[in-house]
Amino acid sequence: MKSLWKVFKQGIIFENPLLMLMIGLCSALAVTSNVSNGIGMGLAMTFVLLFSEIFISLFRKAIPSSVRMPIFLIIIGAFTTIVDLVMKAYFPELSKSMGVFIPLIVVNCIIMGRVEAFAYKQKVMPAIFDSFGMGLGYTWVLVGIAAFREILGNGTFAGMQVMPQSYQPILFFILPPGGFLVFGLFISLNIWLKDRMQKSAAAKESA
Amino acid sequence: MKGNLRLGVVLAVFAAVGCASLAVVYSITESAIAAQSQKALSASLQEIFPDAASSEDISSTVSSNVAGIKFEQAFLVKSALAPLGVAIKAQGSSYGGPARLLVGMSLNRSIAGVRVLELNDTAGLGANAKNPGYFVNKAEKITFPGQFAGKFITDPFEVKKDVAAITASTITSKALTGIIKASAEAAALWLENSTLAGGN
Repeated sequence: MKSLWKVFKQGIIFENPLLMLMIGLCSALAVTSNVSNGIGMGLAMTFVLLFSEIFISLFRKAIPSSVRMPIFLIIIGAFTTIVDLVMKAYFPELSKSMGVFIPLIVVNCIIMGRVEAFAYKQKVMPAIFDSFGMGLGYTWVLVGIAAFREILGNGTFAGMQVMPQSYQPILFFILPPGGFLVFGLFISLNIWLKDRMQKSAAAKESA
Repeated sequence: MKGNLRLGVVLAVFAAVGCASLAVVYSITESAIAAQSQKALSASLQEIFPDAASSEDISSTVSSNVAGIKFEQAFLVKSALAPLGVAIKAQGSSYGGPARLLVGMSLNRSIAGVRVLELNDTAGLGANAKNPGYFVNKAEKITFPGQFAGKFITDPFEVKKDVAAITASTITSKALTGIIKASAEAAALWLENSTLAGGN
């Protein structure tokens, strides 16, 4: 149980997919112009990651390593399409606001990366915890960056006006260059957090 | 050689199972998806023509002569007593792929309303065209599609002149304006050729 917890924790700070592993950046920059999109994309990605990791971990012995990539893609693509169809049929509102991002999940490198580096070599339980950890690590960064960009760039948070009406939105933050800047700030924040946590862990050990 | 064959078979099995499961999910969700989009369409029709009681499908009699813009469906919308106008569901391409709009034209050749049915443009920029909380005219709370209501087909329909653009989304603004203009003209032409008396 303790090792599973450790697998889960890795994805949040120490091996954060966006800020430490630096994968899946394209979708992260594209969707973080408002908070609701960030949450939606995070949840959808986590869902596809979870099921892809479970399946690939289950069938890892049946997948020959020389054709593993196309097989991974088939599995990831199938789950993404299923999510898309089910959302369109039963959650039209959600699908309307997030429809653009769902197909993007197929090419999200986090899924390919984690499936290749983790699920293909691990049992199902660790794979499940890894997908939740990575999903949470992805989601918190998206929501954080989106909140920063939306509040400064549009004066709103998840669509609600939070800045006074007299506030002139800094459009720069909604545009791609602002996305890169905020993203860089989050990378440094994560490295700072990681250093602090490592130091306090080391201090605990030596005490 | 034998090894390669085995790899091919394994790959084929995975692909076949993947296809089969997608086919199953698709066949289950297909009717629900069609029903949802029909519901969204009739809700939009009702918003554009609040008095609408029934609509007649005139899709076969309306066609687009603008390259890149297709009319998927067209309706003659009627109240309980008389025809109200024509609505066209048009598809054209915008910044992020296909965009679908529903354009309503009143009998007096002015636009009754525009609704964005589908748009895949950049979130926070072009996608603001379908955001009911994004106003191109903040003082009067007019949305991007909202500003077309009441426009006559004789207007120039030029972005940044008589059409307010979405900030930093010129491509989206121009693309949508083009679709609206083409639909409005086709609808007006249909009314012209029909036996319905015009408003003026």
